[in-house]
Amino acid sequence: MTIEPANVAPAGLLVIGYGNELRCDDGVGPKVAAAVAEWNSAGVRALACHQLTPELAEPIASANQVIFVDAAADSSGTVQLRQIEPIDGAEVMTHSADPRCLLGLAKHAFGHSPVAWSLTIPTENLGFGEELSPLARQGWQIALDKIRTLAASP
Amino acid sequence: MAKHILIDPVTRIEGHAKISIYLDDAGLVSDAVFHVVEFRGFEKFCEGRPFTEMTSITPRICGICPISHLLASAKACDAIMAVAIPPAAEKLRRLMNLGQIIQSHALSFFHLSAPDFLLGWETKPETRNVFGVIAANPDLARAGIRLRQFGQELIEILGGKKIHPAWAVPGGVRSPLSEAGRTRIRNWLPEAYGTAKIALDLFRKLLETHKSEVQIFGNFPSLFMGLVGPDGSWEHHGGKLRFVDSSRSVIADQLEPQDYKEFIEETVQPDSYLKSPFYKPLGCPDGMYRVGPLARLNVCDRIGTPQADAELKQFRSLGHGAVTSSFLYHFARLIEIVACLESIERALDDPDLLSEDLRADAGINKLEGVGVSEAPRGTLFHHYTVDRDGLIKQVNLIIATGQNNLAMNRTVAQIARHYIRGEDIPEPMLNRVEAGIRCFDPCLSCSTHAIGQMPLRIQLIAPDGTVLSEATRSAARL
Repeated sequence: MTIEPANVAPAGLLVIGYGNELRCDDGVGPKVAAAVAEWNSAGVRALACHQLTPELAEPIASANQVIFVDAAADSSGTVQLRQIEPIDGAEVMTHSADPRCLLGLAKHAFGHSPVAWSLTIPTENLGFGEELSPLARQGWQIALDKIRTLAASP
Repeated sequence: MAKHILIDPVTRIEGHAKISIYLDDAGLVSDAVFHVVEFRGFEKFCEGRPFTEMTSITPRICGICPISHLLASAKACDAIMAVAIPPAAEKLRRLMNLGQIIQSHALSFFHLSAPDFLLGWETKPETRNVFGVIAANPDLARAGIRLRQFGQELIEILGGKKIHPAWAVPGGVRSPLSEAGRTRIRNWLPEAYGTAKIALDLFRKLLETHKSEVQIFGNFPSLFMGLVGPDGSWEHHGGKLRFVDSSRSVIADQLEPQDYKEFIEETVQPDSYLKSPFYKPLGCPDGMYRVGPLARLNVCDRIGTPQADAELKQFRSLGHGAVTSSFLYHFARLIEIVACLESIERALDDPDLLSEDLRADAGINKLEGVGVSEAPRGTLFHHYTVDRDGLIKQVNLIIATGQNNLAMNRTVAQIARHYIRGEDIPEPMLNRVEAGIRCFDPCLSCSTHAIGQMPLRIQLIAPDGTVLSEATRSAARL
């Protein structure tokens, strides 16, 4: 069976921002991804998603490093960057998936699980709307700084 | 003493449900019920919204089949405006629906049901998932992921994103297919065909080893309903409705979808949020009908594309009249993937797909609109009533999974009666009961218009209502 290459060039750093952009701060992940995409940096690719789905496993497997950016409703109020590891055979929902499980899928189905990070941004308003709260807007900026640092690291 | 078995949660389905199995005094299964325990209330909270928002609101019902709601909603809004949308918009909507059917069917077959087929019913639950499939057959697992990706990518190429694209609108669509997008889809087709062929060959082998499942998993007479074209051919977005019985005799044909209330009635059950529609002239339960891939292949005279029609011929040989085994939903799903791929290939050459004439504009010309489309799981109805200002007064959504509800109950009972004897129930037996539900690929977020994250459980109940035992799993597995 021939498996064609992924639909885009492999990225050194892949940023996946996910969340619902119609629920105010929940959309901060996709907004981070959109901002990263505007950098047009060589070797950096950004994907804005409503939710994580199994087919993301392939672009993940082709990256050297991946950052999952998500809103956090129950965080300590600060932007958190944590390294995460793949898990096997655990919980993958039918239409959304856990980042660690996607890493597991990338590892087993496509042969590679990159160094991976979970970057969570604190929220205070998850109501209907497209605007970010001051807390999420501040987190958005901090998150971009952290991604820039990771992108610059060897 | 009679008993009650509860399967809660049911796994590898979209949403949260449970199954109750009732045992009589002799320890034999007397009845079984599939309960859906979610509720969200879209029909209610859409009231008062401008009808033009419905194409944005209703796709949020579900993350797997948002496109189905998007397209049915757009058709209902077209009806309120009383417009005929531009031919290019119609063709583009059809193209997106084909992508939607492929991605959803691929998810159902490769991710949700393949673990049972490839690894076996007796495999340990902790390994009976997509990771087990990868270990057993990595090429197949990868190909399955890629086939779903193909469908999702087609949606993204047209709508700008894979999930919840704000693309179909009242009167048409927002944007055409790009030349680059057309090339990308065309170039991916050979791989997608290859994957479909591998899956079909695999399923043909499974038919040899799963003869008892074909007989036991929801094999009973019922009606079948689906859209057909004017010539009776397979249809997925336009056309009119046809009912056939289990002998495949047409009992009603070319029914206007907007007249659905004349032939479909909905009933509710006290123990489930899932409504149970039935064919009104025959009443309930005689009017029980099935929808979805199995039904679409039973109601159509032909598919209209060569490879799929060749597969249809073999499919038809598995029934006497209609194919009545719910286990063969899986086969029908794979044949529909081929039909969709051939339809896409055929459509891609149409220059209309690149047209910029995409939207008809009009005000409110009717106070009621019905939009009907074939979702992956079956016929989907959106029915809106508006006031003179275009504000929604009433919404009725009839979802595929709801229409299969009576048949799913019967399937669960049939499987339980075959496999369950007494209170001690081995896990592989429970998995078979769940697998009966998975034949229908139910989408509970859609069917209750409710949020769905949790899977299902089985409960054993005594005649006096006492719960004697429960089998519960913590989460869904791919």
